Amino acid sequence: MVFSSLFFLYLFLPLCLLVYWLTPKIEYKNIVLIIFSLIFYAWGEPLWVLLLLFSATANYLCGLLIEKYRGRTGAKASLIVSLLLNLGMLFVFKYSAFTVENINALFSLHLPVPSIRLPIGISFYTFQTISYTVDCYWEKIHAQRSYTKFLLYVCMFPQLVAGPIVRYSSIESELTRRYASVSDISAGLTRIMIGLGKKVILSNHLSTIVDAFFAGDMQHISVAGTWYAVAVYAMQIYFDFSGYSDMAIGLGRLFGFHFDENFRHPFLCKDITEFWQRWHISLGTCFRDYLLYSPIVGKRRAYGGLFLVWFCTGLWHGASWNFIIWGLYFGIFICFERLLGKKRIKKIPVVLRHIYSKIVIVIGFGIFYFEQLPRLGLFFRNLIGLNGNGLIDEFTKISVANNLYLLIGALICCFPVLETLEKLAKKSESRQMAFGIFQTVCNGALLVFSSIFLVDATNNPFLYFRF
Amino acid sequence: MDEIYKKLTKVFREVFDDDSIVLTPETTADDIEDWDSIEHINLIAAVEDAFGMRFQMREVSGMKNVGEMVQIIKSRI
Repeated sequence: MVFSSLFFLYLFLPLCLLVYWLTPKIEYKNIVLIIFSLIFYAWGEPLWVLLLLFSATANYLCGLLIEKYRGRTGAKASLIVSLLLNLGMLFVFKYSAFTVENINALFSLHLPVPSIRLPIGISFYTFQTISYTVDCYWEKIHAQRSYTKFLLYVCMFPQLVAGPIVRYSSIESELTRRYASVSDISAGLTRIMIGLGKKVILSNHLSTIVDAFFAGDMQHISVAGTWYAVAVYAMQIYFDFSGYSDMAIGLGRLFGFHFDENFRHPFLCKDITEFWQRWHISLGTCFRDYLLYSPIVGKRRAYGGLFLVWFCTGLWHGASWNFIIWGLYFGIFICFERLLGKKRIKKIPVVLRHIYSKIVIVIGFGIFYFEQLPRLGLFFRNLIGLNGNGLIDEFTKISVANNLYLLIGALICCFPVLETLEKLAKKSESRQMAFGIFQTVCNGALLVFSSIFLVDATNNPFLYFRF
Repeated sequence: MDEIYKKLTKVFREVFDDDSIVLTPETTADDIEDWDSIEHINLIAAVEDAFGMRFQMREVSGMKNVGEMVQIIKSRI
C-alpha cells in the first residue's frame, strides 16, 4: 500500500486513526497499530510479511540474549547471529542475483541467476534491526522485553517501507508512553499534506518531463536538454523521497511518535559534504555510527573508512554497478573537499561553491538514473555534446515553456518557504492567526488537488520502494 | 591526570593543526571547528598511537566529550 493513494488516504488511515483513538490504554493501542501495520504491509507483500515477522522475532530474541549474556561470549555470539541473519537476508533477497551475474561474467560461467522479487522495505527494516542489536551490544540501550513493543518498533507502518531509518533509542520511551497533543496532530496533518503535495503534484509531474527525455533511445537529445532533464530528475527524486519522509514523520506525529528529520533542504548546500548532512540523514548517521570507524586492515584509516561508507551507500541503494559508481562518485568529492580543507573552501566565493555543488549533485543523479552502463555512457556523451546533437533543440524549449509554472513552483519548494513564513508569523499574534488560517487553507487545497491528480493516476509508487 | 591532559592537548593540536586548543573535560566536537566525523577517525588513531592503547568501536562512536575520552584512556594505560 502506498501513502499517495486514495485508498490509503480516505479509507485505511481514517479507519486506523478511529480505531486507534477509540482504543483505551497504550498496550492495546500498540496492538492496533501492529495489526494495521501488518495489513498495510501484507497488502502488497502477502508472502513477505512472514519474512518481516521472522526478522522481527529473531532480532527480538537476539536482543534478549545479548542482555542476558552481557559481558560474556554469549553476547558476542548473539550479536554475530543477528548480523549474519540480517545481512544474510539482505544478501539473499537483494544481492544474490547481482552477485551471480557478476560471477558468471567474470569467469564465463552459466550459473542459474536466482530471480527473487525484492521484499518491499527490506533495506530499511533490516537496518533498523541491525542498529538495535548493535546498540544493545554496545550498551547504548537496554533490550526491549516486550515482544509487542519491539514488533511495533520494526513494523510501524509510517516508517516501514521507505524510511526514515528510525533508531530505537529515539522512540524507546514513546513505545511505552506517548501522547498526541492537539499541536502534534495539527503539525502531523500539515506534514502529511506537504509530503502528499510534494509527491503527487510535484514529483509525479516532474517525472513525465524526465521520462520524455530519458526513457527513449536518447539519440537526439541536445546538451541543454540533457542538463535540463537531469536537473529536473534531481528535483523529482528529492520531492519523491523527502515527500515520503514528510508523510512518514507526519503520520508518526498523529500517533504521538517523534521521528528525527530525514531531509534539511539539501539543495541549499554549499558543498558535497554538506549535501550529505542534509540528504537522507538517517542513512548517513547509520553508516557513520556503525561503519565509518571500523578499523581497516588492523588500523583506523580515514580514507579507508570513507571508501567503505561510500561503497556501501551506493550498494545499499541497489544491486547494480551504477549505484556503486554513484556512491563512490560522491565519496571522491568528499575526499577532495577534505584534502582542500574547510578553511580554504570557506575562502571560495559562495556563488562558486553553489554552482560547483549543484553541478556535482545533478550529474550524480544522472548516474543514479541509468542502471544500464551503456545508457549511462550515452548520457555522459550527451551531457558534453559528443553525440553532435547541438547545444539546444526545439524539444527542450517546448518542454520548458509547457512546464514553466511547474518548474518555477518546484524550484521555490526547494527552499525553506514554510519555515521562513513560520518565523515571520511568530513576530506578532495577528500574524500568527493569519498564518494559521493560511496553513489550513493550503492544507485543504493540497489535499483537494492531490486527490484530483490521484483519481487520474493509475500507478505511482515512490521511487525509494525499490530499495 | 594532568599528564594525560597535557599529552592529549598536544595530540589535538597536531591533528587539528591549531595551537590555540585548550582541552577541558567539557570540550566537545562543537568547540573545535575541524572536529567532524571523518577527522574523528584521524584523532582516534593519533590518540591510540600516542597512548599505546585501543578504543572499542562503541567508544569511538559514543564519546560525548574529552572528559569521557580521558576516563577511557586512564582505564587502559
